Amino acid sequence: MTTSRLPAPAGALLDRAKPITFGFDGRSYTGFEGDTIASALAANGVGVLSRSFKYHRPRAVLSAAGHDANALVQIGAEPSVPADRRRIEPGLSVTPQNVFGSLAHDRAAVIDSLGRFLPVGFYYKTFFRPKGSWKHWEKLIRALAGLGKVDLAAPHGYHDKQYLFADVAVVGGGAAGMAAALEAAEVGAEVVLIEENPRLGGALGYARFDPEGGHGASLMAELAAKVEAHTGITVMLDATCNGWFADHYLPVIRGTRLHKLRARSVVVATGSYEQPLVFRNNDLPGVMYSSAAQRLIRHYGVRPGTRAVVATANGDGYGAALDLLEAGVEVACVADLRPERSDGALADAVADRGVPIVRGATVTEAVPQRGLVGIEAARVARITGQGLTTALDDRFACDLIVTAIGYNPTTNLIHHAGGRVSYNEETAMFEVTWLPETLHAAGSVTGTFALDAVIGEGRRAGWSAARDAGFKVGAAPAVPNDRGQRGVNHPWPIFPHPKGRDFIDFDEDIQVHDILDAIQEGYDDIELMKRFSTCGMGPSQGRHSSLNSVRLTARATGRTVDETGTTTSRPPYAQESFGVLAGRSFEPERLTPMHHRHVEAGARMMVAGQWYRPEYYGPAATRAENIRREVMAVREAVGLIDVSTLGGLEVCGPDAAEFLNRIYTFAYAKQPVGRARYALMTDQAGVVVDDGVACRFHDHHFYVTATTSGAAAVYQRMLFWNAQWRLQVNVTNVTASWAAVNLAGPKARMVLAKICADVELSAEAFPYMEVRQGNLAGIPARIIRIGFVGELGYEIHVPSSQGEALWDALMAAGQEHGIVPFGIEAQRLLRLEKGHIIIGQDTDGVTHVFEADMAWAISRNKPYFVGKRTLAIHEKNGLTRKLVGFTLKNPADPAPKESHLVIRDGQIVGRTTSVNGSFVLGKVIGLAYVAPDQAEPGTTFQIRIEGGRMIEAVVEKPPFYDPGNKRQEL
Amino acid sequence: MHLDPSTLPRRGFLYRELAALGASFVEVNGQAAPIHLAAGQEAEASAARVMGLADASALRRGGYKGWTALDWLRGQGVAIGDNNTTVVQDEGSRVARLADSEALILGDLAGRSALLDRVEAAWSFEGAVGAYPVPRPDTNFWFRITGAHAANMLAKMCGVDLRPRKFPDGAVAQTSVARMSAIVIRHDLGATLAYDMIADSAAAAYMWRCLLDAMDEFEGKPVGLGAVRALAAEGSSP
Repeated sequence: MTTSRLPAPAGALLDRAKPITFGFDGRSYTGFEGDTIASALAANGVGVLSRSFKYHRPRAVLSAAGHDANALVQIGAEPSVPADRRRIEPGLSVTPQNVFGSLAHDRAAVIDSLGRFLPVGFYYKTFFRPKGSWKHWEKLIRALAGLGKVDLAAPHGYHDKQYLFADVAVVGGGAAGMAAALEAAEVGAEVVLIEENPRLGGALGYARFDPEGGHGASLMAELAAKVEAHTGITVMLDATCNGWFADHYLPVIRGTRLHKLRARSVVVATGSYEQPLVFRNNDLPGVMYSSAAQRLIRHYGVRPGTRAVVATANGDGYGAALDLLEAGVEVACVADLRPERSDGALADAVADRGVPIVRGATVTEAVPQRGLVGIEAARVARITGQGLTTALDDRFACDLIVTAIGYNPTTNLIHHAGGRVSYNEETAMFEVTWLPETLHAAGSVTGTFALDAVIGEGRRAGWSAARDAGFKVGAAPAVPNDRGQRGVNHPWPIFPHPKGRDFIDFDEDIQVHDILDAIQEGYDDIELMKRFSTCGMGPSQGRHSSLNSVRLTARATGRTVDETGTTTSRPPYAQESFGVLAGRSFEPERLTPMHHRHVEAGARMMVAGQWYRPEYYGPAATRAENIRREVMAVREAVGLIDVSTLGGLEVCGPDAAEFLNRIYTFAYAKQPVGRARYALMTDQAGVVVDDGVACRFHDHHFYVTATTSGAAAVYQRMLFWNAQWRLQVNVTNVTASWAAVNLAGPKARMVLAKICADVELSAEAFPYMEVRQGNLAGIPARIIRIGFVGELGYEIHVPSSQGEALWDALMAAGQEHGIVPFGIEAQRLLRLEKGHIIIGQDTDGVTHVFEADMAWAISRNKPYFVGKRTLAIHEKNGLTRKLVGFTLKNPADPAPKESHLVIRDGQIVGRTTSVNGSFVLGKVIGLAYVAPDQAEPGTTFQIRIEGGRMIEAVVEKPPFYDPGNKRQEL
Repeated sequence: MHLDPSTLPRRGFLYRELAALGASFVEVNGQAAPIHLAAGQEAEASAARVMGLADASALRRGGYKGWTALDWLRGQGVAIGDNNTTVVQDEGSRVARLADSEALILGDLAGRSALLDRVEAAWSFEGAVGAYPVPRPDTNFWFRITGAHAANMLAKMCGVDLRPRKFPDGAVAQTSVARMSAIVIRHDLGATLAYDMIADSAAAAYMWRCLLDAMDEFEGKPVGLGAVRALAAEGSSP
C-alpha cells in the first residue's frame, strides 16, 4: 500500500503545528502530536509494522485501534506496545518485534514456506521424543517464541494506585456511553465515564452515518460538549477498564496508575470489534477493516492507499468507500457479499460516484507483492454458497483491500459480571440475553447499531443505573423499536482457499484448516479447540478470531453456533504491564523505638513479620564471632536485647483473672498482684498457638505478653472469646505502646541498680517471676523478673516514646560492667541452651501440649480452658511423636540443620526444629520430634542430614545449661 | 533557642526525619514538637493550604474503652455523639466515638486538653469499672493532613471515600491506610480541608514515607505544627 498524509480537516486528532521526530527500526521519522506510532509511520509511507508470530509474515495496520497483534512493537524495555494506540513522543525509539535481522529482511521468514510441515498441534506431538531431546529443542523454541524482549536490567518505573468512587460508572465514551452518562448525571448521580481513546465519541468520530459525512461529527461534538460541561461527570480518557469484579469494583488503568473504581451501578457501552473477512492472504499489509481505514483518514489524516477494493456486507463498507473517495483513494470496486441491493443512501452515493458495485461477490485472494510486503491486486468472485465462490474471478489492481462484514460485541465486562450472550441466527451476531442486577448495557455491545436507538438505549441505561444507585428518576426514556441489528453481520464471511493462508487468527497464524484439523483430532469442544490450536490465545484474545472460529467449529461439528458457544472471558480485558500489577504495593514496616540505636551500633537488621530486629551486631564477615561475643557477654557479664516486638495486651476488669483462666492453660484466679506467670495458649484442638507472660498489677488488671508473630492473632482470639463469654473484661492491644528490653546476665542487677531508685532489687525483695512498677532513670517502667535466656534477668517495659531514652540509660549504666547489646541469633542459642521452645519454630500447626512436652504448663484443677477437652482426648489416646532435646553421639559429625528428618527403619518419624552449636557447652544441641518410644533420655535416633547421610543423636533432657535453673533465680 | 529532641526522655517517633527536614522544635508535653521546618511557618502555611503533612504526635490525646466507657465519660461531663462522629467539647478537645464501647479524645493544637486532665485525674480501677484508659500517646502517632488535595491524595492509600462531599467535617473512618489500621477523622482547619490520621506508632516512619510519596504529585510538603495552627487560627478551629 502506498500511504501518505492528507491535508486538514482530515486528522482531527493531530496538532500539525507540533511536529515530532521519532525512530523506528533504525530510521528517523517525523509525525505530528496526536499521531500514533502506526499512523505516523503510515504517513511516512511505512507499510510494515511487524512480523507474524509463527510464519514471520509481514503485518501492518488491521484495526488501527489496538485490537490486534499486528501492531505490537517494542519501545525500549517495554515489549508488545500497540503501535496503533501509543502516541509518538520526541525521541521515542521503536523497534519491531519478532524479527530476526531487520523488518525488511527477516531470516525467519523462511518458516512461511515450511508451513505445510508445521500443522496445528505439531509442537505437542514432536518435541517430547526421543527422550531427553527437549533440552535441545527448548533452546531453539525459546529463541523463536515470545513477543518482544524482556529487559531484566530495565529500571523500575513508577506505578501506583488510586481509589475512585462513583454512583454510576459508564465504560465506553461513544454515543451510547455519553448519552448514558448525561442521563444519569442529570438526576444527580456522580458519574465516571471511562474511555480508552484520547477523546470521546467512539464511532461518531470516524464512521460515516450519512452520505454527506457530517452527522457523526456534529452529534459527537454536541454530546461531548454536554458531557464535558456537566459537573456531575468525570471523564477519564486514555483509560482502560480492564475487568469487572464483585460489587462493581472496576480496575481502570490510565498511564502508570491503576484506579480502583467502586461504583453503585455500571453501564457497559463498550461497543464492538469489527471482524475480518477470511480469504487467501487476508493478513497482508494493505488489508484492513473499514473502521481502520476511516480512523486513519479521520483521526490521523493518513491516506491508507491509492487504489482500493472494498468488500462489504453492511452500510459501513459504503461509508468507508465514500471516505476513501474523499481522501483521494480510487475505489476500484465494491464487492457486496449480499446478493440483494441494500443500504440505500450510502450505497447510492457510492454508485453515483461511478464506483462499480458487484453484488453477491467477495474478495477471494489478495495478490501479494514480492516479499509479501503489500498487495498488488484483489481477486473478486461470485459467492455460490456458504464459503463457496465461482472458480472464475476478476482481478482488480489495488494496494488496499478494505473489509466490512460485521462486528462482534465487546462483551468482556459483561462476561466478567456473569452476564450471558447467545447467538442470533437471524442477525448472525452474539447478543446479550441476560445482565446481572445494577449492570446495564447500551449501544453496539448489545447489538444496537441504529444511531437513534443507540442514543435511546444509552439514555435508558443511564436512567436505570441512576435509579439503581438510589436516585429519583422520572419516566424511562424511550428506545426506538428498530435497533438496526439486521444487515450488519454477514453470516459466513469465511472463504477458504485451496492454497491456504486464509487466516482466522492473525496473532497465532491460525488458518481455516488448522481449526478443522483440531476438530478432526477430536478437540471438538470450543474450549479444547482453542487450547489445541491456540486460536484466540494470542494478545488479541479472540477479538478478531472468536466469532469466525466458533462458526467454523459449529459447522464442522454439526451444531449451531449457539450450541457451540464461546470461550470464557476473564479479566484482564486488555494487556496490562507487570508494573501496573506490582506498582506501589504497600509493605508496612514497624520499627521499635530503639531501632536507630541498633543501626548506629552496627546491627544487621532482619525482618520479623512487619518488624525489623537486630540479628546480631557487627560485620557480616565476622557473624559467628559477633554472636559468640554476644552470647558470652550474657553468660558472663550482662547483655541487653530489644524485645519491643513482643505483643502487649491489657486485660482489665473484675473478670480479668477468670478470663485468663479460660484462655490460657495455667491457673490465674489466685495469682497475686505483683506476680508473673507463664501463659500458654492452645486452640480448641489443643494445639499450642502462643505463649507469653501474664503479669498482675491489680485485681482487675493483667498485662500479658505474646510472641512477636502471634500478637495480632492472640488479640483476635481474646476478642472472639470475650464476645462469646460476655465476661466483665476489656482487652486492649498495646503492643506499640510499650518498648521493652531484656537485661540479662549475672551483672544485670548491678546495672539496673544504677538507674533504679524506687524498687528494691535484691533477690529476696524482688524474686524470680515477680513484677514491679517503678522508675528507671526517671522513666516509668514495668519490670518483670523472668529468664528466657537462663540468666538473672529483667524484662523492662516502658512507654514507647521513652524506649530510646531507657536504652541509652541502660547502655550507659552497663558500660562499666561490659554490657553488650545482643540480637536474635544470640538469644536463639541462649534459650536453646535452656530448652525453651519458640512457638512456630519448635511447634507446627498441629503440635499439642503433650507433644511439646509441656504438660507442666496445664492446670488440671480448673474446670475449663480453651482446648482442655481435646487435650484430654490426646492424653488418653497417647502420643504419636514427642519433642525432645538431643546432642550428637559422635561430636565430630556435622551438625544437622533445622527440619532435617528423623528416620527409623526407612520411615520418617520426626524432624529437627532447633539446632545450634553451644559455645559454653562445647557441643551441638538441638530439639527434635521423635517417636514416643525414642523420647527417653539416652535413647539414640538417626537424623538424615545433607547428602542423605545418616548421623546418630542421643536424647538429652533439657535444660542443657544450668539444669537446676539456679542462675536465673539469683 | 534550639531544642535537641534527644535530650528529652520522651522522643517523637519521627524526630530524626523531622530534624533532617530542618525542623525547629519546641517542648510540648515533655516531647520535642516540630513547630516549623526549614521553609518557615509562613511558607509552610501557604503550602499546607494546597497539601501539607504535619506530625502532631506531641499533642495530647487519650481514650477510654470498655463496656461502660461512654457512660463513664458522660458522667464526667463529656459530650459524645453517634458512632464514627466527633463532638468538639467546650474547652476545645474533640471526642470521637469509635464504637459503643470506645471513645478517642484529641486535645488542641497547643498540646492541651483540660478534658483529659480532668478525666485522667478522676479515673481509677475501682471508680471506673468497665472504662479503661487506652494509652494513645504511645500506641499511636498523630498526623495532620491538610489542603485542597488531601482527599485525592488519601484515595491513593485508602479505600474509603473521604471526599468532602461524602465525608463531612467531624466524620470518623476506622479503616486501612497503606495496609495499616488507621483512624481518619476529618477536621477542617478554618477553610482548609484537613484530616487527622492516627495509627500504629511503630509504623510512623513507614506511613510518613508513604504519605510524602503520595503527596508528591500534588506539590505536597511536610510542614510544622505552626502552619497547622496558623490555618486553624484563620477559622478559629481547635
